[in-house]
Amino acid sequence: MGLRNLFDRIEPLFEKGGKYEKLFPIYEMVESFIYTPKTVTKNAPHVRSYVDMKRIMTYVVIATIPCIFFSWYNTGWQANSAIATLGAASETGWRIWLLKAFSIGLDPSSIFANMFHGALYFFPIYITTLVVGGIFEVIFATVRRHEVNEGFLVTSMLYTLILPASAPLWQVALGIIFGVVIGKEVFGGTGKNFLNPALTGRAFLYFAYPAQMSGDAIWTPVDGFSGATALSVSASQGYQDLAAAGITWMDAFLGFMQGSLGETSTLACLLGLVFLLATKIANWRLVVGCLAGMIGFSLLLNTIGSNTNPMFSMPWYWHLVVGGYAFGLVFMVTEPVSASHTNVGRYFYGALIGVMVVLIRVINPAFPEGMMLAILFANVFAPLIDYFVVQANIKRRMRRYG
Amino acid sequence: MAHKHRELLIDPLVDNNPITLQVLGICSALAVTSSLQVAFVMALAVTAVTAFASMFISMLRNHIPGSIRIIVQMVIIASLVILVDQILKAFAYEISKTLSVFVGLIITNCIVMGRAEAFAMKNPPVASFMDGIGNGLGYGLILMLVGVVRELLGAGSLFGITILETVNNGGWYVPNGLLLLPPSAFFVIGLLIWAFRAWKPQQVEEREYKIQTVEAH
Amino acid sequence: MADQSPSSEAPKGFLRKFQDLPTDSIPKTLFVAVTLCLFASMIVSIAAVSLRPIQEENKLRDKRINILQVAGVYDPSQNVREAFQAFEPQVLDLTTGKFTDDFDAATFDDRAASKNPELSRSLTDDPAGIGRQSNFKTIYLLRTDDGAIDKVILPVHGYGLWSTLYGFIALEADGNDIFGLQFYQHAETPGLGAEVDNPRWKALWSGKKLRDENGDLQITVDKSAPAAGIEYHVDAIAGATLTSRGVDNLVKFWMGKEGYATFLSNLQAGEV
Repeated sequence: MGLRNLFDRIEPLFEKGGKYEKLFPIYEMVESFIYTPKTVTKNAPHVRSYVDMKRIMTYVVIATIPCIFFSWYNTGWQANSAIATLGAASETGWRIWLLKAFSIGLDPSSIFANMFHGALYFFPIYITTLVVGGIFEVIFATVRRHEVNEGFLVTSMLYTLILPASAPLWQVALGIIFGVVIGKEVFGGTGKNFLNPALTGRAFLYFAYPAQMSGDAIWTPVDGFSGATALSVSASQGYQDLAAAGITWMDAFLGFMQGSLGETSTLACLLGLVFLLATKIANWRLVVGCLAGMIGFSLLLNTIGSNTNPMFSMPWYWHLVVGGYAFGLVFMVTEPVSASHTNVGRYFYGALIGVMVVLIRVINPAFPEGMMLAILFANVFAPLIDYFVVQANIKRRMRRYG
Repeated sequence: MAHKHRELLIDPLVDNNPITLQVLGICSALAVTSSLQVAFVMALAVTAVTAFASMFISMLRNHIPGSIRIIVQMVIIASLVILVDQILKAFAYEISKTLSVFVGLIITNCIVMGRAEAFAMKNPPVASFMDGIGNGLGYGLILMLVGVVRELLGAGSLFGITILETVNNGGWYVPNGLLLLPPSAFFVIGLLIWAFRAWKPQQVEEREYKIQTVEAH
Repeated sequence: MADQSPSSEAPKGFLRKFQDLPTDSIPKTLFVAVTLCLFASMIVSIAAVSLRPIQEENKLRDKRINILQVAGVYDPSQNVREAFQAFEPQVLDLTTGKFTDDFDAATFDDRAASKNPELSRSLTDDPAGIGRQSNFKTIYLLRTDDGAIDKVILPVHGYGLWSTLYGFIALEADGNDIFGLQFYQHAETPGLGAEVDNPRWKALWSGKKLRDENGDLQITVDKSAPAAGIEYHVDAIAGATLTSRGVDNLVKFWMGKEGYATFLSNLQAGEV
């Protein structure tokens, strides 16, 4: 293995006292990306497990693959359909030029044309995220002398998938900087962050640049096209009107609707969930708690009912398939670092998110979507939930033995 | 004496800043910093109240019974705050409209109470006055710094004068809406504290506990 | 104990006696408490009473500036009081659409009246979200030099996203062409809903019409123009759907039959 030899040869240069001592994090990043990390626990207690940080993070990225592919298809399909309706006047920009130059065309019925068009929106956002976020990761790793973690690969992928396709790249860059710095690095890096960095970045953009992050004109990146998300249709007219807007439950489940890049398809998210549960990366208690909270609270609101607010009557199976619920459930709620760490606490943590999502979606007049805010809210409460669980355990033991 | 008074004035600006070191008076710092003009008036109001409250309390310090100490301080502070509020309403109506309840809430600003209790009860009037001015200015300094960031990036202007022409007015700058919302001041103050403590490491608090790390390699 | 408490007219020896008491004794505590309270309340009330006229003047001036602005005649270099002389305040009875002399137009307060059951009614159909509506409103007429009505300025209010928006709408003498809309009090989201104050957005209102030829109310604040045509349509504020909807509702409400419709038809018929 020539590459291994190369790494072994240059490693002394990056170690303490070496010529490029300060650049060790970058060396470590490249090396551990390619080979298994060499770090071995030396102090007791020893836990032997095939799961290390690198494997967790790689598995999460693998789990997003259905969402990634679907995001290409849906974005391209929405864009091509919009162009087909609006006519040749809307065929502007370098992507159209590229599609024509390679004679791929803009046919909304061609799967390949749709995938290709969508990928042309996905990659600029993803590459911007990787480069800009990566630069800040490396800066902090160098100054703070810790290693650049594979976690960033997950963060950057999730962050890309929850952005609208039309997001301006400079905003994408600002968001990931905020997410990486405020969401993670100020607290000491991966493993010490209590907020989900991808969501922190997304929330920053949501509040800082709402005109580009919410509304009806942004989801399909074609100028002059306006299409509301399923949630904003339900919020203003009631979910019963979704059919009139051309969205059946099956459409919403499969993901053929307006929304952020990767979060429209519940099916794609559920494929990821099966993989994460099978590999035991995701803790099933979090998923159960979050589903129970959402179903229970939406059933409660269904019974209460309201004459003025159509969202009250939205059934749980619609809550499941619209907006970012499924994506958040699979990839954000189950994120181990920012969730609760006790088994009992995990049910409560999940349920808190489930209840908050429905609460924000239904009761708050300003924000049609609630998943992002609900998860960030619960992130803050996770340590408190753990504290109460641990205290309750201590009390129980005291009563038993004390 | 003069030397000591100068220290009382300068010390709270950076080395012993009421906001970044003692983390007091955050509430109003969140509410009034979206525009520099308002932040400036608020800073002046707090400086005036802190200085005069400290001075009056110091003048009476030998006659204030311990049992009603806090109430006496509150009465003096509250009267001064009402006075400032009335004067603003009469002579700076536009600004008092934006400041609304926050002038009234200077009463609850911990900096004023804190200086009265910690300094003015033990020191002579002139020194207390200086201490009040110093702490008010320390508070004002942070308010202005936060205000510059929030107004410039949030609205594209400083003191209401357009610096970056915003898109809504036909320019190029896309204003950052987050900075117009009060919670953004938390981030800005947090980053300021970070910057201050990176500059002056002696301000860093001692860790309450140490995180054990596993030896690498 | 109470009659023992010293007043400010107490002889000097008496004062000195208290001053020399041990600080923590009960008489001294009472003495300090009472004198301090007297002194503080005196200062506060003097300030409040002496500054009141200036403050009232400020409030009035502020309101007048808003009326001048919505009528498009505000000039910062001009004296507000003099400029306002051109406006003629009138108390309007909404049910008859005629002016009434029952109240003094200079002092009538319709916000207070909306809380008085005799002068107001509670709304069953309440799209503007205002709860109770006063039966009387103070409106302002701007006349041309020959005494003809030039513009009418009508106060409007209604609920947006977070708060009630208070403002004025200025109409041309025909009672159908909008000259301008301006809000003077609201607490909408800065940068989004608060863009109702943006001069560019306010400028959109100028020249729009309330009703079509058939007399149907058509004015709409929305993202896309209604079927009736562009002259009845004001573009919604980007990113502020709910504030825009609030403005839409409140303008429709106040220009409709529950609001100024009767007065406006009187105006068009020349019966004002």
